[in-house]
Amino acid sequence: MISYFKYILFFLTLFNAKVFSQIVIDNQYNYSLRLYNAEQYFDAITEFKRLLFFDKGKKYEYNANQYIAMSYKMGAKFSDAIRYFTIAEMNARDNDELFDSKIEIVRTNILRRTISHAIDLLDSMKADERFSSKSGEISYWKGWAYIFNDKWDKATREFSKVDSNKTLTEFCNNVQREKYSVTFADIISHIFPGSGQIYTGHYFSGILSLGWNILWGYLTINSFIDNRIFDGLVIGDLLWLRFYNGNLENSVKYAEVENLYITNRAMDFLQNGYLGKKP
Amino acid sequence: MKNSFFIFLIFSSIIFSQEKNYLVSENLFSPSNIKIFADFLFDQKDYLRAADEYERYLSFVPNDTIEFKIALTYSLMNNFNEAAKKFNVISKNSSFYKPAKIEFLKSIFQTGDIAEFRYKYSEGKVNKSYLDSSGMTSLYMYSFLLTGEPLPYEDEFIINFPASERQKIKNFYEWGKDPPYNSQLKAAIFSAVIPGLGKIYTNEYWDGIFAFIATLGTGYLSYDNFKAGHNLRGWIFGSLTVGFYGGNIYGSATAVQIFNAHIRFNFINDLKSYLEDKNYFLKIFN
Repeated sequence: MISYFKYILFFLTLFNAKVFSQIVIDNQYNYSLRLYNAEQYFDAITEFKRLLFFDKGKKYEYNANQYIAMSYKMGAKFSDAIRYFTIAEMNARDNDELFDSKIEIVRTNILRRTISHAIDLLDSMKADERFSSKSGEISYWKGWAYIFNDKWDKATREFSKVDSNKTLTEFCNNVQREKYSVTFADIISHIFPGSGQIYTGHYFSGILSLGWNILWGYLTINSFIDNRIFDGLVIGDLLWLRFYNGNLENSVKYAEVENLYITNRAMDFLQNGYLGKKP
Repeated sequence: MKNSFFIFLIFSSIIFSQEKNYLVSENLFSPSNIKIFADFLFDQKDYLRAADEYERYLSFVPNDTIEFKIALTYSLMNNFNEAAKKFNVISKNSSFYKPAKIEFLKSIFQTGDIAEFRYKYSEGKVNKSYLDSSGMTSLYMYSFLLTGEPLPYEDEFIINFPASERQKIKNFYEWGKDPPYNSQLKAAIFSAVIPGLGKIYTNEYWDGIFAFIATLGTGYLSYDNFKAGHNLRGWIFGSLTVGFYGGNIYGSATAVQIFNAHIRFNFINDLKSYLEDKNYFLKIFN
């Protein structure tokens, strides 16, 4: 009877040890989560790291790493965030968790402006059979990657693949239509100096550029007609060509600057006015 | 029997398991657990959190090793002001007192406040021969190279460095004594005689060629227009010639300033990387 009781006592001790240690770990997880929810990200990272350090059963390996990564992301420490999302990815227990980690890596890459890497990851996810049911979400984030890459036409195409995203499809389409064509501005300025500036709405600059080109062009041609070859070469080379080149550079610059304004306005709306999921 | 059951139960609740190199008690915030977690963070190079955890540990247990480690974490984070403060408070009774004093001076040096470093060095040197044996005197002497002040005599200077480093230090010393700077006056005279030559003297070859062509080209145009009776154009090109000529002389003189600053900048960078490579000549933690 005594020997039997000893065995029970022994197993009780082991069981007690296991259960109590698990409660401590669970409490630590809840405490860390509270800090994360209270947006105390620095402390949340510390406590999740403490949890990982003491969690020998690795129960929270995925969640804790995922939250550490999210906290780093909130603090704009994108490279650290990606490191921890990758650890979470390695500890994912099912395809949903795996997908979430991968998507978070993509979102962080978008924010970090390593867009080509984000697109590569999305392409590899698209080719992965495990995520065949999530092609809509993959297209959605690909659209965002293109937005951050200033490729609004490609973003429109990706969003149009997602049925529920008419808003973003139309928005990206409008931005694309609103933007100026830098190539067009450059070409028309080659043909007719000043027209590139006028195309982008800088009328005064366009007319001024045209005026300078007419003046120096006239003087250059006049010099050649008068047989003042050296004067013609100098005025043509140092003045006319200089203003002609200036006109080309200016028209491209104006188109790029105007496009930047349009993009910034669009990004401002997406950041503050758009209510859907953002990177 | 009943008592032994409870004793087992309580015992197992307090000490769950001893795994690997650390003890997991029910309290993750016990001093011993805080310390092993802080050590882990330190190993992971997460110095800011490690410092926080060490500070937390210190609030339970006074420990000079931990005080020293906190100061070290700040130093590793390049927060040299905070590191200096932390090294400076380590007690005289601690076995870390001497290394802390050395690290304190090193941290002040690393803040870039050389005057303060020299003051603290001179203040600390009294009755503290260990500063000499630690290599701090070498660092003190080296600081003269960094500030560009008049250097001590060569023999007095070089003797303070380890024999193996003396040739290299001698090269630095010679550079510091007579830096290979260009002369602004020379550059201006060169440009006055041949436009653009001053720029070439400062290795700005294309600027020199452009200045030469622009000055002579506009000069010729001015002459040619006056000769052809186009006085207005002659005056315009003449003014441009004067502008290019004057600008070329002034530009050459300022180019020398930039050239010299560049040389000095490279020299300081070489000094700093050599110093880091030699661990500030200090004989601790090598």
